[in-house]
Amino acid sequence: MREKGSTDHPGKEKRNDPLDMECLVGYILLTGVLLSVALLSISFAWRWVRVGRFRFEHSIVGMNFFEFISSTFRKMASRSFRPRLFLNMGIGVLMLTPFVRVLASVVYFAVVEHNWKYTLFTAFVLSVLTYSLFLR
Amino acid sequence: MSFHVLFLVSIVAGFVGAISGMGGGVVLIPVLTFLGLDIKHAIAVSIVSVIATSSGSASAYVRDRITNLKVGMFLEMFTIVGALAGAAITLISGRRILFILFGIVLLSSWVALFRQRNEGWQPAAYQDVFSRWLELQGSYYDRSVQQTIAYRGVRAYLGGPLMFGAGLIAGLLGIGAGALKVLIHDLVMGLPPKVSTTTSNLIIGVTALAGTSVYLAAGMIDPGLAAPIILGVVFGAFMGTRLLVRLTNQTVRHIFLGVLLVLGFEMIIRGFWRVGG
Repeated sequence: MREKGSTDHPGKEKRNDPLDMECLVGYILLTGVLLSVALLSISFAWRWVRVGRFRFEHSIVGMNFFEFISSTFRKMASRSFRPRLFLNMGIGVLMLTPFVRVLASVVYFAVVEHNWKYTLFTAFVLSVLTYSLFLR
Repeated sequence: MSFHVLFLVSIVAGFVGAISGMGGGVVLIPVLTFLGLDIKHAIAVSIVSVIATSSGSASAYVRDRITNLKVGMFLEMFTIVGALAGAAITLISGRRILFILFGIVLLSSWVALFRQRNEGWQPAAYQDVFSRWLELQGSYYDRSVQQTIAYRGVRAYLGGPLMFGAGLIAGLLGIGAGALKVLIHDLVMGLPPKVSTTTSNLIIGVTALAGTSVYLAAGMIDPGLAAPIILGVVFGAFMGTRLLVRLTNQTVRHIFLGVLLVLGFEMIIRGFWRVGG
């Protein structure tokens, strides 16, 4: 049965424009989750090959998110590749995914849509998230 | 707790969460505490996995243009502040109260789902000035009826503050609180069910990140515990969405209503009589 509020559709769905907000947000989320899952899978596979078990035992204490990410990157840059670093990167990438999505939304509303109202709203969300990620 | 147990439990939680549309946290936390994990640590690792399940499903819904991004981005302002407050409260709360509260939220979700089971959606006849200013109207193409459904979001002045409460519960209990968000979208803001569910999914990721940051700062995110749970719920959710298309909505909803009821009472009983985990 046809619901109220419905209109006849012209026959095809909206085109996926590469500069479209929905595509941008959708692909950021998809890329973030897939990358995170890939990094976590690599870390577990590597750990198993190396020590014969999957379980990691280390903790993140006394640092905020950005310190956690930068310390992981510093260790990777010094070529001390270890399964644990891939695990940390997987969690870090996952946490960055919604953050990058909000950042991209601020830029999109400001630069592409010139919608200052929503630029302000998303900038507020970004500021609160940034503040929270600096908590320690 | 071994990797295999965590992984299997998380697959089941992700699977049940996906077929019910409520995320994995509502199943994951009761089971993890039942297996002996402290409830605060269960909440902390659960909320990280909520980012994964929410972002994964939101990515598809957003690209399908069902999600209303403006509704989501307006309401996120309220949910993230609520999540920060909720997570901070958890750190100082007693475990007993968390068990009882979790049970109450599960039972409230049961009531919300039970109410929704046969209700049809009616579009709002009039859009208030504030919601019009916020540009909360939209449309999406519904493949099941092969039509474009146009709608107008209303009562944003009420929806925003209520979403603070939903965010508070999400941060407090480490869940997506999707049932509450959907309820606010449906009953208060007049959004169609598909738009409610998919927009709620988008909001959940950002809300969960705010909560996660508090638990991370408190040193409660154990990567060795969180990682297998993230992988498990993602795989479980993937399998759940595949199976979802083969099951009828009625079957899924009946199974989940039963699970919610049992887990809700179980958590309240454990809160009153003993604190497990």
